[in-house]
Amino acid sequence: LGDLFDRAVKLSHYIHSLSAEMFNEFDERYAQGRGFIEKAINSCHTATLPTPDDKEEVQRIHHGDLINIVLSMLRSWNDPLLHLASEVQRIKEAPDTILWKAVEIEEQNKQLLEGMQNILGRVHSNDLGNEVYSTWSGLPSLQLADEDSRLFAFYNLLHCLHRDANKIDNYLKVLKCRLIHNSNC
Amino acid sequence: QPPGKPELIRCRSPEKETFTCWWKPSSDGGLPTNYTLFYKREKDEFYSECPDYITGGPNSCYFDRKHTSIWTMYNMTVKATNVLGSNVSLAFFVDVALIVQPNPPINLTLEWVDRDSGKYLLLNWAAPPRADVRSGWLTLEYELRIKPEKGQEWENISVGPGTKYKLFSLNAGVKYVAQVRCRSNKEWSQWSSESYAQIPKEF
Ligand code: NA
Ligand code: NA
Ligand code: NA
Repeated sequence: LGDLFDRAVKLSHYIHSLSAEMFNEFDERYAQGRGFIEKAINSCHTATLPTPDDKEEVQRIHHGDLINIVLSMLRSWNDPLLHLASEVQRIKEAPDTILWKAVEIEEQNKQLLEGMQNILGRVHSNDLGNEVYSTWSGLPSLQLADEDSRLFAFYNLLHCLHRDANKIDNYLKVLKCRLIHNSNC
Repeated sequence: QPPGKPELIRCRSPEKETFTCWWKPSSDGGLPTNYTLFYKREKDEFYSECPDYITGGPNSCYFDRKHTSIWTMYNMTVKATNVLGSNVSLAFFVDVALIVQPNPPINLTLEWVDRDSGKYLLLNWAAPPRADVRSGWLTLEYELRIKPEKGQEWENISVGPGTKYKLFSLNAGVKYVAQVRCRSNKEWSQWSSESYAQIPKEF
């Protein structure tokens, strides 16, 4: 189980740094002075998932439930990441670094989902996990003709991805310390 | 005249459990000016006023655990008021997950170790006191820097998450000075205070 967690945390850390870099690059290049951040409030498709949002809340949650929350988040990103990786190719002058990262994150997210399913099976063999996830309906917005609206849709998706990747990485690091190191990392 | 626009300049969380925001006071034309900060998180319907103007020092607002949520956007504005009127800052947006700058690590010690298996300088330190690294809530990586006491150039060494480091190939008879800093995922802490070690003349 220690090895499984080591691999999962390495992956989540990697996904988080890629999505941070991708969001920052996009923000610098396309979002300056457009007031996107204000519009991005309350618009992540995963906002309906019951995710804990401070330390005490995370600590109150049973590890099996926390693993299931991570699984729900990873599942909720399958579909948008697939479309992100293809639609981002059409952004005018999108730098290769953004294109490459979108493809890489999509692939690594699937790997992490598989790894977390293994972990759930090991710690909670009687509970195969719910299949809860949030559906994403943002594809049309990534294909809008109006450039400003389309760029905002990408901005919003990358912003949410960055936030969720940070959350997942944080939850997994807490889970690893709790289950492998008895909360004494 | 009424006060000019105040400006929110920075927020910082040392441990991802509390945070503080600071503003630049507006030009006040010599009249006493009072500042109030209002904030709204993504799920909040209404604005709330700053819970604590004292703890963070002048021109700041401190958010304790109870008022700190992570992975949500805080929308904040500061209002400056004097007897002739008031003025409001531009909105400032902050997500606590992205403003973590830890305090510096503590208790850096340098110990010369002379064993048959090897001779080296052992550097040892501890995470900043309030950072909860044990539960995994905060993960820190460290960077060391070291130079001869009289030297100009620091040598920087990336350490990763460990809190000790063995340094080989130092010069005999030289006194070295070292510091350590840490970061969560972005902003480095300040450097710790300096610690010293005298390397023996012969080894
Ligand atoms: Na204050
Ligand atoms: Na809290
Ligand atoms: Na140490």
